[in-house]
Amino acid sequence: MKPTLKSRISSSLFALPYTLCFAAFLLFPICYGFYISLHDFELLSKEHPFVGLSNYIAIFTPNSYENALFFRGLWATIQFVIFSVPLLIIAGLAIAMLVNALPSKLRGLFRTFYFIPYALSASVMAVIWLMMFDTNAGFLNSMLQKLGGQSIPWLTGTPWAWVSLIITTLWWTIGFNMIIFINALNQVPEDYYEAASIDGASSWSKFIYITLPTIRPVMLFVMITSTIASFNIYAQPFLLTRGGPGDTTRVLLINVLDHAFIRKEVGSASAMAIIMALIIIIISLVQYRLTYGRKEGN
Amino acid sequence: MHKLRKALLIIVAILLAAVMLLPLVWMISTSLKNDFEALAGQMNFIPKKPTIDNYIQGLNGELMNVPIMRWITNSLSIGIIGTGIILLIDSMAAYALARLQDMMFRKILFSMFIASLMIPGVLTFLPMYMEFNGLGLINTYAALILPYTAGAFGVFLLYQFFISFPKEIEEAARIDGANKWQIYSRVVLPSSVSIMVTLGIFTFMGIYNDFVWPLYAATSPDMRTITAGIALMSQGSYTQAYGKLMAMTTIAALPVLIIFMIGQRFFVKAIIQSAVK
Repeated sequence: MKPTLKSRISSSLFALPYTLCFAAFLLFPICYGFYISLHDFELLSKEHPFVGLSNYIAIFTPNSYENALFFRGLWATIQFVIFSVPLLIIAGLAIAMLVNALPSKLRGLFRTFYFIPYALSASVMAVIWLMMFDTNAGFLNSMLQKLGGQSIPWLTGTPWAWVSLIITTLWWTIGFNMIIFINALNQVPEDYYEAASIDGASSWSKFIYITLPTIRPVMLFVMITSTIASFNIYAQPFLLTRGGPGDTTRVLLINVLDHAFIRKEVGSASAMAIIMALIIIIISLVQYRLTYGRKEGN
Repeated sequence: MHKLRKALLIIVAILLAAVMLLPLVWMISTSLKNDFEALAGQMNFIPKKPTIDNYIQGLNGELMNVPIMRWITNSLSIGIIGTGIILLIDSMAAYALARLQDMMFRKILFSMFIASLMIPGVLTFLPMYMEFNGLGLINTYAALILPYTAGAFGVFLLYQFFISFPKEIEEAARIDGANKWQIYSRVVLPSSVSIMVTLGIFTFMGIYNDFVWPLYAATSPDMRTITAGIALMSQGSYTQAYGKLMAMTTIAALPVLIIFMIGQRFFVKAIIQSAVK
């Protein structure tokens, strides 16, 4: 039976409100962003002359202001990604395994304890850690002094600024990876382990030869979400180190948004945002190919 | 040997829990101290002279004219309205995609929505700002709500649920003469409470906690959200006024902590769903 036009219209109307929102607040901004990036788009000016690709060219012209801004920011971001992602994955998995190894009565309780910080907003997280890291009155330095140690310039010295950003990021977001890993670990069939035990396998070889291969797709998922999240880092350096000391922790997103809102160069900042987005999308696609390739191999 | 290992694991778990919870306990403890004691660099968790002045002054808006109650109201309002809109439009779209086979452009729209899950926020951030700026909507609730409605996560989550919803129940309603809207609103939705609560909690926490967008989309003191407001206080006149700042931060964190405690089961479900795409 062929559906009537009336039926087709009424069915489509269900999806219309969301589709309109999708068009207005996702599709349109994407297109508009490309348009802006091709113009000299000064935030307060009424005139926005077309400049072709010159916003992009400026970013790739050595020694230009835009070049320094973009690549210094990118380098700071990449450093953060390299420091944080392995820790986020290893600690997330370790905590998940710890929770799973606990007696079942205690699991829920400890899972909640480790998960709570994830429920907080970026600013609550940052304000709490501003106080923990305060050089003179902060909790950590007070503790160090009690123990007879030296104060540490947590937010104003190198490499301490990076250490602080990574501590806060781990504390704040590790619960997400833990939850994903706990779920994955629970999906590993119990009889795999039993069979291995009969063969006399050690805990370590069970972990290497059973656990890791079985949770591989989840591992890739966590790797990619952690990489993207770390690539988008903004709140931690914006609120805790304010990009310092010097410009050390001025990550890419801080530079892009400052370029748009403080220097008012929205056109050039949009070009930077588009390149940054492309980098993130490429990372996602590589991950997708890795997962897809694995499925084909099976 | 086995018992010893178990005891050791529990000790490690407790130590880790102490590390994770310490900053939160310290936040609450500091919020009950006066500013002098909060800056003294001591490590006492129990304040020497406990005081709730920080809370009273903060909630009255007496502190540096910060309208904290207004900010909380803003955040709760946009969180609730935004979540309501998203639950409605996402469930309708997901229902059509999953069940109304004769919907126009069904396949292409579905692929577009799925693909959009890979779009990083940085791509839309600046043009979205320019769009709302052009419409004169910066510093309005519209700017603080509408951008979230484009997210495809909810559509996808509900789609997966609806696709496995038993067809027989819908068929029975159709034979009784119910139209599509009646089937959706009286049969499908009442059977989807659990998944709707899951999406609702996840969405509300996302909007309430969002930081970067409201920081730029609402800049007038009256239109700030609590998340952006707290951040600005910590960078401005409240630097080092830790007692007061911590009282405000505790108030800001309270709504999400309560929802998290009550709805953790749902929140976890949403996160796990996001991983099994």
